[in-house]
Amino acid sequence: MRLPRGSDLSGLRLQASARSAAFWLFVAPFLIGLLIFNYIPIGWSAYLSFFDAQGTVTPDTFVGLSNYADMLTGPFAQSLLTFSVFALFIVPLTFALALGLAVAVNRIRFARTFFRSVFFLPTACSYVVAAMVWKLSLFSGVRFGLANTVLDWFGQDPVAWLSNPDPPWYWVVLVTARLWLQVGFYMILFIAGLQRIPDSLYEAAFVDGAKPGWQVFRHVTFPQLRPTSIAVLLLSLIAAYQAFDEFYNLLGTARGYPDFGRPPLVYLYYLALGQTQDYGHGSAGALILALLIALVTLAQGRLLGFGRQEA
Amino acid sequence: MRGYSRRGFLGMAGGVTAAGLLAACGSNTGRGGGSGGDTIEQWYHAYGETGVQQAVERYAKAYDKGTVHVQWNPGDYDSKIASALAASSGPDVFESTLRVDMVRSKQIVSLDDLLGDARSDFTESVLASHTVDGQVYGIPQAVDMQMLFYRKSLLQKAGLQPPRSVDELIDAAHKLTTGKVKGLFLGNDGGVGVLAGPALWSAGLDYLTPDNKVGFDDPLAAESVGKLRTLFTSNSLLLGAPADWSDPSAFTQGLTAMQWTGLWTVPAVQKALGDDFGVLPWPALNGAGKASVPFGAYGSMVNAKSKKIDAAKAYVKWLWIERGDYQQDFDLSYGFHIPARKSLAAKADKLKSGPAADAVRFVQDLGKPSNPPPWTAKMQLALSDSLNKIVRSGGNATTELKNTVTQVQDELKRLNG
Amino acid sequence: MDKQPVGLRPGVVGTSLRYLALTVAALLFLLPFYLIVRNGLSTEADITSPEWSLFPSSLHWENITELFDDPSVPMAHALWNSLVIAVLQTGGQLLLGSLCGYGLARIPYKHANKIFYLIVATLMVPAAVTFVPSFVLVSSLGWVSSLRGLVIPGLFAGFTAFMFRQYFLSFPRELEEAARIDGLGYWGTYWRIVVPNSCGFFAAVAVIQFIGSWNAFLWPLVIGQDEDAWTVQVAMSTFLTAQNVNIHELFVAAAVGILPLVLVFVVLQRFLVRGVAETGIKG
Repeated sequence: MRLPRGSDLSGLRLQASARSAAFWLFVAPFLIGLLIFNYIPIGWSAYLSFFDAQGTVTPDTFVGLSNYADMLTGPFAQSLLTFSVFALFIVPLTFALALGLAVAVNRIRFARTFFRSVFFLPTACSYVVAAMVWKLSLFSGVRFGLANTVLDWFGQDPVAWLSNPDPPWYWVVLVTARLWLQVGFYMILFIAGLQRIPDSLYEAAFVDGAKPGWQVFRHVTFPQLRPTSIAVLLLSLIAAYQAFDEFYNLLGTARGYPDFGRPPLVYLYYLALGQTQDYGHGSAGALILALLIALVTLAQGRLLGFGRQEA
Repeated sequence: MRGYSRRGFLGMAGGVTAAGLLAACGSNTGRGGGSGGDTIEQWYHAYGETGVQQAVERYAKAYDKGTVHVQWNPGDYDSKIASALAASSGPDVFESTLRVDMVRSKQIVSLDDLLGDARSDFTESVLASHTVDGQVYGIPQAVDMQMLFYRKSLLQKAGLQPPRSVDELIDAAHKLTTGKVKGLFLGNDGGVGVLAGPALWSAGLDYLTPDNKVGFDDPLAAESVGKLRTLFTSNSLLLGAPADWSDPSAFTQGLTAMQWTGLWTVPAVQKALGDDFGVLPWPALNGAGKASVPFGAYGSMVNAKSKKIDAAKAYVKWLWIERGDYQQDFDLSYGFHIPARKSLAAKADKLKSGPAADAVRFVQDLGKPSNPPPWTAKMQLALSDSLNKIVRSGGNATTELKNTVTQVQDELKRLNG
Repeated sequence: MDKQPVGLRPGVVGTSLRYLALTVAALLFLLPFYLIVRNGLSTEADITSPEWSLFPSSLHWENITELFDDPSVPMAHALWNSLVIAVLQTGGQLLLGSLCGYGLARIPYKHANKIFYLIVATLMVPAAVTFVPSFVLVSSLGWVSSLRGLVIPGLFAGFTAFMFRQYFLSFPRELEEAARIDGLGYWGTYWRIVVPNSCGFFAAVAVIQFIGSWNAFLWPLVIGQDEDAWTVQVAMSTFLTAQNVNIHELFVAAAVGILPLVLVFVVLQRFLVRGVAETGIKG
C-alpha cells in the first residue's frame, strides 16, 4: 500500500490501516460526542420545526412551513431586527473603546500592567453578577440607585431605568453593562495585535515625516491591526446576536419577561422552555437564528477577510 | 506498532475510566423525580412571608409514610414548572394553578378519588378552578386574593376619599405624588403583569366568555387598558422598586402611598403601619363594569411522569385533605390566605376584623377567578405582550388588542377544534 | 516597553492627559467591584437609605457567615457544583479537544479533511443558539438536573479541537521526529513529547475554559432545575429575579462567586492574556 504524501515523519513506517487506527483513536472520542451533541440536536430540531410540537418532542401533527412563517412575521422577527440595531450600536462602540484603551495602555511606561489588569478584570465577572450590580445598585429605579442619585444632584427626577421603555433608557443600562464586561477582553486582543507591529514600520514613518499621533495611527497602526480588527468585529457581532445572560437577569422577573429589549435567545427560551413549551416554533426560531449567524459570519469573512490591505 | 498499541489500550482504559467517573458523578444529585429513590420531591414557589418555608418543611418532615424533600423556587416559578413537567425530571408533587393544556398533554394526574367526603367542604368556585372536564387535578391549598392598599393618613392629608372609579384612582395617584413618595405602585411593570384581569372586569368584560369565546373583543377593553397607559405616563407610578408588587416593602418603606398587592401581606403591613391603611377592590371603569378582586388558589398536583404516583397522591391527601391543623397554620400563621375549605374558613378568626375581613367580603361579592383553566399560557402571553406594548411602549390599544383576539382565537381552535 | 522611536512619543502634556483619562476610566471600571463589596458588607437599611453614601456606616462581616448559614440559599453547594463542573469541563475539553486536534494535524488519513470540515461547520453555529434542540436531546436522555447533563454536552466544542489543530500544525516537527527515531508511536510521542512541550498553550486554553465554565449561565439555567444542580450563577440569578430581593445577601454571594476568578486573574494572568490572544485571533 502506498503511503500518502506528506506523511514525512521519518522513522515511522506504519501500515495505512494501523495509521487509520491511530487516527481514530485520537479523533473518535471527540467526533462521536460532536455528532451526538451537535448534529443530532440540530437534526431533531429541524424535524420538530415542521410539526405542531407543543408540550411534546415526539409530535405527530405535520404543519409544513407554518412555524417558520409564524416566526418570521411575529415578535421573533421583531426581536431579530431589534438586535441587528443593537449590534449596530454595540459593535462599533466596543471596537472604538477597546482600541482606544489598547492604544492608550500600550504607549505608557508606568503602571502599564496595572491599567491593563484593571480594564481586563471585568472579564472575570459573570454577566449575572454584572446584571445584579447594574440592576440593584447602579441603575436601580428608586431613589437609592447611584445613577438616580447623580441625577438628583442636578435636580433631575429619578428615572425608572428598566421599567419604562418609553423613552428607552433601558438600553443605557444594557449597553453600559455589556461594554464593561467585554471591552477588556477585546482590548487584550488589540494589545496583542499592537505588539506584533514591527518597530521598523514606525521608524520608517518617522523618516518619511509622519507626525506622531493621528497620522501614524492612521497610516501605520490601524492598517497593521487589520486581522485583529476583523476578529474583534466578528466576535462582538456574533456575541450581540447571542445576548442572553444580562438581558434575562436585568429585565426578567418572577412573572416573565417584557416584550421590549427581548433578544432572540430570550424569546426562544420563554417560548420553548417557558410556560408555552412550544418546541415546534422554538426549533424553527433556533434554526433561523443559527442560519442568520452563519450567514453573517460568512459574509463578514468574505467582505473583510479577503480584501486587500489598504494604505 | 511497538509501543503504540499497548499504550493505546492503556489510553483507552483511561478514557473509559474518565467516562465512568463522569457517569458516577452524574447521579450524585440523587433526588429529583426522574432519578428514582423513595423520596417524594415537592416544589413550592417562594412565598415572600417569613416562616412559610420552615413551615412547609416541618409538615413534610412530619409525614411518616415516606420521606419528602421540599424545594423552594424563587424566580420565575411558572416557567420553571412548565419546563420541568415537560422534561420528565420534575418534582413528584408541586403547587400550581391549573391550565387546560396541562391536562391535554397529560402532564398531571386526576386527583378526583382523593377528595371523598371532603369534596363538599371545598369552596365551589375554588374547586372549579382546579377542575377540567369534571375531573379535579389540584387540591386547593389556600385562596390568595389581590387588592389595593392605601395609606389612610396620606389620603387624609391630601383631602382625598378612597377612589371609587378608575378615574378617581388616577386622580388620587396624581395628588399623592410628592417628591420622593409616589402615588401608586402596581408592580415594576406598571401593572401589566397583574392587572390584565381587573382591567377587563372593570369594563364588564372577561378573558373568555362562559361558552369559550374571546371575552374582550370590545372597544371598552381598549379604553380600560388605556387607563393603565394614562397611569403609566402620569409620573405618579412607582417603577423600579427593589421588591415587586407581591411584596409590601415599597408600601411599608414609604416609597408609595398606594400599592396593589395581596391579602397575604396584611400581617406585615399591620406590623409596619398599624391601623394606618385601608384596602379597596380595583375600581370599576364605568357603569357597565364592576369593581373586582382577583382570587385564585394554588393547588397541590401530582406529576404524571412521577415514578411514585401512588405515594405522591397519598402524601397530597394527607397534607391537603387530612391535616386541617397544618392547613390552618399555613393559611393564617404567616401571610394571610383565605382557607379553601368552608369548615376552616369559619374558624379563621384573624380574617374576621379589619382589612382582612374586607378582603374576605370582596372575594365573596366581587371575586373573579384569576386563573380560569381554559385560559392557557399561550393566551396569557399574547395578552401580556399586547398590554406591554400598549401600556409601556405606547402602542395603539385597538390594533394591539385586535391582534391578541386573533391569536387567542387560533389557540382556542387548536385546543378545542 | 515603548516600541516607538523617541520622536513619535507624545509630550508631557499628552502623557499627563493620557494618565488622567486612564485613571478616570480605571475608576469607572473598578466602581462595580467596589459596589459589590460595599453592598455586601452593608445592612439592608444602609443600602436602601435615601441618602446615598460611598461608604457604609459600618462593616458587617457577619453577612458572609449569614449567607452560608441561610438554609434557603444553597450557596455552598452551588459553589461546589460550579467548581466540579468547571474542573470536569476544562479537563475534558483539553483532553478530547487536544487529542482530536493532534490527530487532525499530524496523522495522515484519507478522510481527515472531511472530518475537519465537519468540525469547522459547527463553528458557524454557536452552541448557545442551539440550546433548544440540545435541551430536547438531553432531557430525552433523562439528564436534566444531573451533573452529566451539565458537563457532557459542553465537552465537544468544535472550536477547541480547531484551535488545537492549528496549534499542533505549528508545533516543531523535529521534536516529534526525534521521538519517532526513539521508537515511540503516535500515542507515545503525543504524551511524552508533545504535551510536555505545550504546557503553556494548554494552560492558556485551560484558564479561558475554566472562566467560561464558571461564568456559564444559559445552559446551567436550562438544565439545573433541581436546586441540587444549581451553579453559582443560577443560584444568584434565581434570587435576583425573585419577587423580593435580599440585597446585601445577593451582593455577598456575588463577592464570593467572583472571588475564585479574581484569584485566577491575579495569579495566572500571563496564561490568561496569552489564552485570550490565541483563542480570540484564531477565532
